[in-house]
Amino acid sequence: MIGFLGRRCLQAVPLLFVISALVFLLIHAAPGGPLAIYLSNPNIRAEDIDRLRRALGLDRPLWEQYVAWLAAFVRGDWGYSFSDGRPVATRIAERLPATLELISVAMAGATSLALPIGVAAAAGRGRWFDRLLTGASLAGISLPAFWFGLLLQIVFSIGLGWLPSSGRATPTGGDLVDRLQHLVLPAAVLAIVQAAAWSRYLRGSMIATLRQPFIAAARARGVPGRRVLLRHALRHAIGPLLAIVMVDAALLVSGAVVTESVFAWPGLGSLFTEALARRDYTVLMALLMLSSSAVVLFNIVADAVHACVDPRVVLAW
Amino acid sequence: MLFLALASACTRRPPAAPPSNDLLIVGYDREPDTLNRFSTHILEDIQTCVVEGLTTTDENMKVIPLLARDVPTVDNGGVKTRSDGGMDVIWKLRPGITWHDGVPFTSADVKFTVDAINSPSYNPESTDGFDRITSVDTPDPLTAVVHYKEIYAPYDIQFIRGTLPKHLLEGRDIDRAQDYNRSPLGTGPYRVAEWKAGEYILLERVPRYWQGDGLPRIRRLMFKFVANTNTRINQLKSGEVHVVALVPWDKYREIATMPSIVVNRTPGNAYEHVTLNERQFAPFADVRIRRALIMALDRELFVKTILDGLAPVTHGAIQPRSWAYTDRITRYPFDPAKARALLDEAGWTIGANGIRRRDGRPLAFTLITQAGYAIRENVAQAIERQLRDVGVDVRVELHDGTAISAIWFEGKFDAMLHWWQMPSDPELTTFFAADRTPPAGRNINYYRNEELTRLLYASDRTIDRQERTTLLQRAQTLIAEEVPEIPLYSVTRLDAVPASLRHFKGNPTNTGIFWNVYEWEISK
Repeated sequence: MIGFLGRRCLQAVPLLFVISALVFLLIHAAPGGPLAIYLSNPNIRAEDIDRLRRALGLDRPLWEQYVAWLAAFVRGDWGYSFSDGRPVATRIAERLPATLELISVAMAGATSLALPIGVAAAAGRGRWFDRLLTGASLAGISLPAFWFGLLLQIVFSIGLGWLPSSGRATPTGGDLVDRLQHLVLPAAVLAIVQAAAWSRYLRGSMIATLRQPFIAAARARGVPGRRVLLRHALRHAIGPLLAIVMVDAALLVSGAVVTESVFAWPGLGSLFTEALARRDYTVLMALLMLSSSAVVLFNIVADAVHACVDPRVVLAW
Repeated sequence: MLFLALASACTRRPPAAPPSNDLLIVGYDREPDTLNRFSTHILEDIQTCVVEGLTTTDENMKVIPLLARDVPTVDNGGVKTRSDGGMDVIWKLRPGITWHDGVPFTSADVKFTVDAINSPSYNPESTDGFDRITSVDTPDPLTAVVHYKEIYAPYDIQFIRGTLPKHLLEGRDIDRAQDYNRSPLGTGPYRVAEWKAGEYILLERVPRYWQGDGLPRIRRLMFKFVANTNTRINQLKSGEVHVVALVPWDKYREIATMPSIVVNRTPGNAYEHVTLNERQFAPFADVRIRRALIMALDRELFVKTILDGLAPVTHGAIQPRSWAYTDRITRYPFDPAKARALLDEAGWTIGANGIRRRDGRPLAFTLITQAGYAIRENVAQAIERQLRDVGVDVRVELHDGTAISAIWFEGKFDAMLHWWQMPSDPELTTFFAADRTPPAGRNINYYRNEELTRLLYASDRTIDRQERTTLLQRAQTLIAEEVPEIPLYSVTRLDAVPASLRHFKGNPTNTGIFWNVYEWEISK
């Protein structure tokens, strides 16, 4: 296991280098740049643009900009944001807690929904409630988060007045209850969409497990149905689901771009949207490297966890 | 999840706080990068409440004095032209004004601002105008004499953005002065109390604002950042924000019926038009084609249907609010028959598929526009339809805001549905002079007309209001005849404010609706 982890981590390093180069090329390939937003100002002249371009180092050849960025990045210097001139690390650090809060609550919610739904659907395979749950899962997977979020706002906030429509807290004083109330809608959107997908995985995995001989043997020994399901089958079926959950957990760091925009949630997802619109290359590179690293890392952890839970899985790279 | 929902449902949520003289909440569409008005000229609403200029523009687009005692003019001796072709502008400052930290505001701050902007160590968004100032003299603390090396017509709004405080910023790297950039020192009715990144900026009133005791009347102003337009309107409906500026026209009907909200309509100083790039699409160089295109479009119908009657048709770049405006220009009626006749005359005959051809080439071009604006997308499609009726093939292409700026700046488009927010000074040179194609200017029609170019430069080089008006009116007449671009409609500003808000006066310029925020009051 240690050897496995060590090898995978070493492998990750060149992978991340390649990712950084690709990502750098991609964001520079998009038309426009950090200065595009100034072009609509009729009073900006060619000299102003040249001056601003030089100040941001954008007049250097692309490979030179990449190398300069890389050299600084690996030293821990994430540079300054092109939009507001503040250190990139500061901008990310101040938004990270909001994303962690939202995603962890959403994932807890998704897990608590996906487990019972997946298990119940598998246990009652073919029966009416399996069909109902399957339909509901399909609907959940198909829901566009954007539309669903706005719909929830209209129903629960404007219509019923039960919940605030967006934001993280009431600005003029938010106690814990107020913050929980703000969390409900965005977390619900994320949880429902994720739970829909996860419950399908679990259902499939459970059905395959329930066909195994050891389950029949357990039943034959007189183990009660409930225990067979939860203690015997679930333990074996949960491996693949855990792997999926771990990979989705990378959201903790990349943020949910669409949901955060719709709910004005001040996390890394909305920071990404803003930075993308402004072509704020330094912020974009930092965010993209952060989420790429998270995906790579969580993939490694997912494999390791899967191996721990299911001794049949052999770790080979 | 269920636990959370139950927990919050059990605690009945108190209704959102209504607007009051204690706190007014504004739904703002973007977080500013910086509050330094010179570092970036976009999104200046919040700064307007904190940093005041020597002059400002009022609801009629008239330049009025603010920190200056009056607007310098030739008549009152405030402006003197020199024999070497330059001019001097004498600014007399209002006495008794102090910065929020108590230090007096003086002419030394004016001089410092000019020197800082012209210095290579600071990167403001634009040095336009400042680079024509050779020096500033300060004979006394309330007088600043600004020496220009040539005649600069918009001198009266040179300091509309205010000044940088010398005692705070002298000798410092202004780009990195985060204390100033995040919380600027000003003389205005408010100062920054808190900036919660990603969420809001809270302004609080200053104790002894110079415009009078008891002003400003509203104690705190909060600007909440809500990027998504639908979410922002939803917040207005649920009462979580009280003010939303620049409501999109397609949202007007949704909020017009709300009893707690009044939607103010201010005729704007921006105009939507179809840019015709004659460098990229050669047929646009033929004036008959351009006249045919404008007569093929039923602009009154667009305004009545797509725009819900909220904005009027416009016939030129200068809008009725401006002092230079004239309506004695050629207007093209909706006349598809005449359009077809002109196209036939120009040698473009209808082909088999209904599209006109000449020398084997079809009369087909791409119309680009910015994505994300429902109104614009609809207008683009309507244009496509109406031009097809006269045998012109149009393909609509949408691009995101940043990409489209780069595209038009490089001139890589045929036609564009676009709007310019015109500056309060009616200078048209950058948009229509032959030598002002990008990067030197914004003539993205790539239109070259010697007579027009001559008129426009002449209008820049005089400060005699009469002479400028005559020259600009002739320019407008010429532009209307030549149709280098197709003007569509004048952009009306819609601003949603509480019905209980008194003394709100909209503003058609970039100065924004908060220009007189110190007068605002919520009445019961």
